[in-house]
Amino acid sequence: MRKSTPIAIFVVVILAAGGSFIWFMEQPGGPSTAGTQGSYNSTQLIVLYANALGWDYNSSHPNPTLYEKTHVLLEFKVIEQDNLPHTFTINPGPNESASNAILSVNIPPVTGTVTWVNWSFSNPGTFTYWCEVHPETMVGLLVINATTSNTTNASVAPSAPFTCTCANYQPQPALTPFFIRDVNEEFR
Amino acid sequence: MGFSFELALFGSTIAIIAIMGFLLYYFAADYRRNLLGDAGSTLPKIESNTMLSRMKRELSFSAFIMDDSKSIGIRYLLLSLALFFIAGLAGIGMRISLWFPNPTFLTPVQYNILLTAHGTLMLYGWATGSILGITYYLLPSSIRLKKDSLGAVSSVMFWMFLIGSLFLIFSKSTASWYFYYPLVDQLTAAGGGTFSYAALIGVMLILLATVTSCIIFLKMIFLDRDKSIPISRLPLFAWSVVSTSFLIIASAPISMIADGFLIYDLINPIFFQGANGTALGYAIMFWFWGHPIVYVAIIPAFGLIYELLPRFTGNKIFSYRAGVLSLLLLMVLSGMVWGHHLFNSGLGTAWDLIFSTTSFIVAIPSAMSVFNWIATMWTGRVRINVPMLFIINGIIDFVIGGVTGVMVGDVGVDELVHGTYAITAHFHFILLGLTTGIAFAAIYVLFPTLTGGRKYNIPMAKVHFYLTSIGTWIMSGFWLVGGFAGMPRRVAGYFGIFQTYQDAAAIGGVILGLGYLVFLVNFLYSSYGPVEASTDNILEEVAA
Repeated sequence: MRKSTPIAIFVVVILAAGGSFIWFMEQPGGPSTAGTQGSYNSTQLIVLYANALGWDYNSSHPNPTLYEKTHVLLEFKVIEQDNLPHTFTINPGPNESASNAILSVNIPPVTGTVTWVNWSFSNPGTFTYWCEVHPETMVGLLVINATTSNTTNASVAPSAPFTCTCANYQPQPALTPFFIRDVNEEFR
Repeated sequence: MGFSFELALFGSTIAIIAIMGFLLYYFAADYRRNLLGDAGSTLPKIESNTMLSRMKRELSFSAFIMDDSKSIGIRYLLLSLALFFIAGLAGIGMRISLWFPNPTFLTPVQYNILLTAHGTLMLYGWATGSILGITYYLLPSSIRLKKDSLGAVSSVMFWMFLIGSLFLIFSKSTASWYFYYPLVDQLTAAGGGTFSYAALIGVMLILLATVTSCIIFLKMIFLDRDKSIPISRLPLFAWSVVSTSFLIIASAPISMIADGFLIYDLINPIFFQGANGTALGYAIMFWFWGHPIVYVAIIPAFGLIYELLPRFTGNKIFSYRAGVLSLLLLMVLSGMVWGHHLFNSGLGTAWDLIFSTTSFIVAIPSAMSVFNWIATMWTGRVRINVPMLFIINGIIDFVIGGVTGVMVGDVGVDELVHGTYAITAHFHFILLGLTTGIAFAAIYVLFPTLTGGRKYNIPMAKVHFYLTSIGTWIMSGFWLVGGFAGMPRRVAGYFGIFQTYQDAAAIGGVILGLGYLVFLVNFLYSSYGPVEASTDNILEEVAA
């Protein structure tokens, strides 16, 4: 055995382990911006159906403009509608921009899948919510107004909540997953 | 035409590569001549390789440019050791991040990257790689190999294994080690499953290398072993290699097919997309291989225990026939239990009961082996040294891991503990105590041979043993209790009520990591000690 073999093995193992760990730590897509969320005292539910033809395409208000407030935790309930891959992306400004997106969440391409995206804005402004896969059709505005005080305890009523008053709106049938079966099926 | 800088650079690059190639060839030839002597180095390749694979071999980076069995074994051992420390550091990172219910320093994406790296590299890189290494190293002397052919194939397969493990490291996949469908098919760079296709290619390369190596092992055992060893007196380690090889050849290609489908699915989702109801199809094809791989990780460890125990107890193994029967039954039965990973996935009650029953039955050959070892120790005089400590600890850990495995093999219990840390505890008891422990026991046994007559530092080796043993117990034990309390696995954070279990497991994980660090330091320290031991070892004297 050469003199240098054991020390070389030792160094290679240490470098490989440490280097790999540093490599794993470097998150793809850049560092997470999750730390910049604002504080919140109340929550607001927003339901969005993800459809390649437009957000809430089957409602009377496709791609609705959402009016919300700062320091309210917006709970986006994104429901997959068409088996196609989508993302739920929000960036500041009235135009789409993937490079300075605040958040970008993948919506699994299985109809009926519910993806929760929670966010609370600390500063007022105009934001764009859109899908990176279908930027032409799936894009809408999100306007954040200032709350005078962020210590309100009561649940804030939405200024322009998404409500489905339309006639042609078809609520999605409850998805029956393939794996839910009658357990006695085999014995009948 | 005037002077062209680009042309000069190109020409000198070609020249340097040519010179380096010549030097590599020269050093390889020189090393061969040193090992074989002048007469041996003029022999044809296969004959000189056969001579080389019968000789004792030290650790050397020259192994990477030679292709006899022992060199391939050293290559795999070094690579799998490096992968073990990479994956181990990832595991310790996850433990430390879980100290508080809210993740301390890992984002969920980073946690998932570490989780996937830990799982794939430990199973494919360390468990499979170390087994391939030990088998390539020990099998030629165990069966007195009379023709070491196919060295070139083994060598190519090693490089595929290496490239596959690099793919796994560089892919940063977040899809966990099973690559279920919705997880791999995520789109953006910030989301889960980035570059999962690269991880899938890595897995396929590793599986290809493993399957081909197993075919080579079977050829060695059945065609190229010395005539003085009839099949009825084949060493039990060779029997364990037979069992493992058949298991891998029968099941791994199914998973490779599924991985191929899955790579196509990432481009055009037609095979396993959930809406078509075929996500379960991938799960079935995956677990058809995914369960046998855990037996692949333990059966060669069984074989090593069968070889090592008689040496440390001074008598023969209690029952050779029961050992062979146990290993072969494990091969047959462990191919039929994969459905117990899918109890909650809707195979149907009838299938669930069948797989539950086979999972209970597979405990029989395992228990046969355990009782065989206990009887061997009972009838002999046990000599305690470091490898023997690892063996005893491995048997105890295997019993605990096996009993918890039978418990979760019950459909009703599995409904409760599926996806909790109880499962993690079950397989960490086995994989840490048995697979990893016996691999390190084998490394300690081979240490004088590998380092050219040095002895390992016994106090440090004992510290290594006690730290890893205690660490395994603390970590897996608290996981087990927490798992039965409902602590979910594979998540970056947890509910506050589980903090006791998680903190204890984190302490256990750090103790484990310190133990393996002690091994590394011991290896470095002892390799520069005085040459005072014989280079013989008890695993290779079988052939003498």
